[in-house]
Amino acid sequence: MGGMTFLTSIAISSLFYLSVFVFLAGFIYRVSLYYSTPQPLKIPQTPQPVNVGGVVFRMAGDVLFFRSLSKGTTLLFFAGWIFHITLLVTGIRHLRYFLPMVPDVVVWFSHVAIFIGFVLLLSLVVLLIRRIVDKKVVFVSSLSDYFVLLLLICIVFTGLLMRYAPFRPDIVGIKGLMLELVNPVTAFSLLTLHPPHAPANYMFAIHIILVFILLIYFPFSKLMHMGGYFFSPTRYMVNNPRTKRYVNPWDKEPGNLTVSGEGGQNNG
Amino acid sequence: MADKEAQTVTAGAAATTDNDKIQAMLKYDKIDYQTVELTGEIILPTEPVDKCFAHIKPQLLTDKKLLANLGYPTDGLVDNWKEVFLRKMDEMLKKYKSVRVFMDICVKCGACADKCPYYIGTGDANNMPMARQELMRKVYRRYFTVPGQLFGNWMVKGEELSLELLNMWYTYFYQCSECRRCSVFCPYGIDTAEVTMAAREILNSVGLVQKYLHQIINNAQTMGNNLGMQKNAVINALEFVESDLQEETGIDNIRIPIDEEGAEILFVTPSADFFASPHIESLYGYAKVFHQAGISWTMSTYASEGGNFGLFIHNYEHMKKINKRIWQAAKDLKVKRVVGGECGHMWRILSSYSNTMWGPFDWLDQRYPIPEHICEFTLNLLKRGALKIDKSANDEFIVTMHDSCQIARGMEMGGTEYGQFEIPRAVIRYVCDKFQDMPEDTIRERTFCCGAGQGLLGDDMLPTRVKGAIPRMQAYTAAKQAHGVNFIALICAICKAQLSKMFPTYGYPMEEVGGIHQLVGRAIVLGAKEGV
Repeated sequence: MGGMTFLTSIAISSLFYLSVFVFLAGFIYRVSLYYSTPQPLKIPQTPQPVNVGGVVFRMAGDVLFFRSLSKGTTLLFFAGWIFHITLLVTGIRHLRYFLPMVPDVVVWFSHVAIFIGFVLLLSLVVLLIRRIVDKKVVFVSSLSDYFVLLLLICIVFTGLLMRYAPFRPDIVGIKGLMLELVNPVTAFSLLTLHPPHAPANYMFAIHIILVFILLIYFPFSKLMHMGGYFFSPTRYMVNNPRTKRYVNPWDKEPGNLTVSGEGGQNNG
Repeated sequence: MADKEAQTVTAGAAATTDNDKIQAMLKYDKIDYQTVELTGEIILPTEPVDKCFAHIKPQLLTDKKLLANLGYPTDGLVDNWKEVFLRKMDEMLKKYKSVRVFMDICVKCGACADKCPYYIGTGDANNMPMARQELMRKVYRRYFTVPGQLFGNWMVKGEELSLELLNMWYTYFYQCSECRRCSVFCPYGIDTAEVTMAAREILNSVGLVQKYLHQIINNAQTMGNNLGMQKNAVINALEFVESDLQEETGIDNIRIPIDEEGAEILFVTPSADFFASPHIESLYGYAKVFHQAGISWTMSTYASEGGNFGLFIHNYEHMKKINKRIWQAAKDLKVKRVVGGECGHMWRILSSYSNTMWGPFDWLDQRYPIPEHICEFTLNLLKRGALKIDKSANDEFIVTMHDSCQIARGMEMGGTEYGQFEIPRAVIRYVCDKFQDMPEDTIRERTFCCGAGQGLLGDDMLPTRVKGAIPRMQAYTAAKQAHGVNFIALICAICKAQLSKMFPTYGYPMEEVGGIHQLVGRAIVLGAKEGV
């Protein structure tokens, strides 16, 4: 292994473990915080279904089809939804690098992969332009909001470039690297300074390092909406407080109303 | 304490302490309100303007006895306010999942931006719901997140605590009526009301307490009603209503029973219903419904108020204490059912929160909803044909209905998720021939606040109220132009108080505002049914 290749390999390998660790640990920590923080009262936002099945259905509509967003802003709804769905497809498509046997669905997506990739890029650009042009959004936007969009744009852009010469990487080599990295045993071989071999392709290196940055940034950012949505009390709570007593985690005792005669007394 | 007072006196005009400075910043000015022309079209601001409505602030509560009663600092801003502020905010984040999650997951997409009645009315950028939340999120990111603590403010747009920040908080968290319209459009259901409630309680903890709202919380806790009436005043008011009712109907056994032990139903309603106009017309309606249904009922002087302003700030103890009176009265009067009158936030607390705070209500009659809304109650009677109705009594009206925010977006009615929209409308259709809805995006779950909910009803908030009412006034105008609507039916005491003030302000007669049970009351034919 030459010097440069060794450095790239060890950088990519160690960053892989670091970023995956930070992402998982951070994500789990934040979600456990959402989970464990008590919600004292029932605050579903009607029309909220009155049974669990209905609530699951409504939430699925929010997650899969952006139900509530669709009520307000057409451009944002379309751009946002297309971005999320194409990102999902692209993510599924990337499974081929991590699974020894590639599932049929992933193979099928190869017909539309390029098209999906460009739609993904386009939707991100639309979202970025909207964030720059719409005065209402500009008012609350901070560096971090632009940072996430730019980061995603760079990731998608470098990913797309790799489909074309002269940026084409050694796909078989990448798959070999990934399969090794997802094997936990590889983590220990890092300690002996024997990292798995990363294909020499700077576009690939940029692409994957940007993804690592995204993973590390994720749990500290607004991207936590991915997990946080499921803990949003206006959405997950069932609308039945009259028929089923909801217990406040920090005020569990049933109300103590002794017959005091107080109710009939003069209180003035 | 004595030292501090002495210091304030000697400091004089120099305004050296933080308290002096903030008092100067928050000084209440009486400012004239400005209306707009009613065209029937809700015009969105072309561009948000920063702080163009920043000069409108409510009065501060300065009565030391009241402040002490409520458990808040009595001498204005406390000296170590930064410490107290962050401690309280930390408590809010730990006690309310809503606050914790909503602080984290906003992506600032802007879907909520132009949905707020106060933003539409004022055009002030800080009245966009996500900007309002930003006021708290700035502090959250700076003091409660890792990037804020590590990299400081430039990365996350955080903000250090400052007097100017307090000023912004006090201004804009009192230009929010917690109506939850923004949460309808939010992809994650972020509810600005929860943020506003927490912010107000944080402001309270450092000593910046809004006058109107907290005076009422104090009244309700100590006197049992928002208006601070003594027991005999309540009795006088209700007896007066009763004799009026008997005179008007010519029926001498129609009653407003007070504190009658063993009645079937305890009826609670906002104390404004006892004499405010048009509220009182609905009280006539309730009494007629109970009378004609032949069900014994009673009102309580101990729980002479349905409203509970404790909801408007995240202070669970206040709310719980006020709510207790209703269930204590129900127990003491040995009733079997509890029915709630026309009021928005009252109904939300009564139906959604009571069971948590004072339940389980296994000692009440389980065959009926606990509590039951007066519209549910009346509709049941109407469906059974138990009330004789003469619709022609309401022939002069073409009626529309304003969905009150806390009812429309707060809680099921009739056990179905759409009941809170359909049941009040069904009641209206039973008693009126002509009913027309306002434009679709201004009713039901998308209803606009009347503009004065959740602690903004004070006269000091008139400029804000007039602006906040604009979407509703435009929607009403649209219905008027399209269908000749001339009556807006309400199910909330705050809506009634606000719109009966706003209608004349915007050039419509006050008589076009009224309650649903006002219409019911007019149409009910009293006396024995035919064939009985």
